[in-house]
Amino acid sequence: MALPAGMEMISDVLQFIGVFVSFSIAYVAYRGVRRIHSSSLLRLTAAFVFLGFGFAVEGFVGLSQVIPNLPFPTMAVVAGLLFETTGYFFLAFSHALDVMMSKRMGVALLIFPVISFSGAQLIDILSTLSFYFVLYGVVETLYSYARTRKPDTLLIAVGLAMISLGTFVQWLSLLYLNVDVLLLLQIIMKEIGLLILFIPVLNFAVGRVRLDGTI
Amino acid sequence: MGVTTLLRKGNLSYTRMSKLLSELVGSGLLLELNGDKISKYMISDKGTEFLAVYHQFEDFAQSFGLKL
Repeated sequence: MALPAGMEMISDVLQFIGVFVSFSIAYVAYRGVRRIHSSSLLRLTAAFVFLGFGFAVEGFVGLSQVIPNLPFPTMAVVAGLLFETTGYFFLAFSHALDVMMSKRMGVALLIFPVISFSGAQLIDILSTLSFYFVLYGVVETLYSYARTRKPDTLLIAVGLAMISLGTFVQWLSLLYLNVDVLLLLQIIMKEIGLLILFIPVLNFAVGRVRLDGTI
Repeated sequence: MGVTTLLRKGNLSYTRMSKLLSELVGSGLLLELNGDKISKYMISDKGTEFLAVYHQFEDFAQSFGLKL
């Protein structure tokens, strides 16, 4: 699972952009938790804190391959993926709670077949779970768009779709170990998705309410 | 606004509305104006500010397809 040094560096930079975007979203959501005590925003905060840590760990693992004196255990890769999967789980969980509260049938999870649990590797399972969770998020966000017709919601659905494509390519990269470009491609897709998710943060920042909650 | 109007608009029982009103007045989001016979309520500056902030975060959550 090694990329050429140049590509490795690009992928690390992208991982750290992911850290910035994730923590920015988490920060705005956390301000919301403090100001209006919303449990939905609390779950959103948790999701993006985990995603941020996931990207950070994966970024540092990548750096350890470029900088020889920066040792990182192999389990760090699994830890990074575990953080990321937990983040996606919280995103899916928020939607699942919305589904339960509105008492409509949450069948979206059943529509998509489990792709692979046959591989014993933990990384394989975590990648599959991430794909599963994000895809659920895409379906629920699209459903929400159908209800609210808010352009931002559609954008977020597109962003999540890009992330889910990225996690799918990540899963493919585990099958085709000799195709290096898949690793870079999955990071680029996830980054584009994350940058799209950053749009509500920008909207919020340029809005009337500042991040400290005062008008 | 009087309690009767609030009850009609909120579609709540009197007990529930009384509890809600005392909580909102206690937290400073509503002002209670005591008249001769009945109390009237109006939104405070803090309440207006809270609503503005609430709508901003509601917008943010809705972007992610979530309800507050």
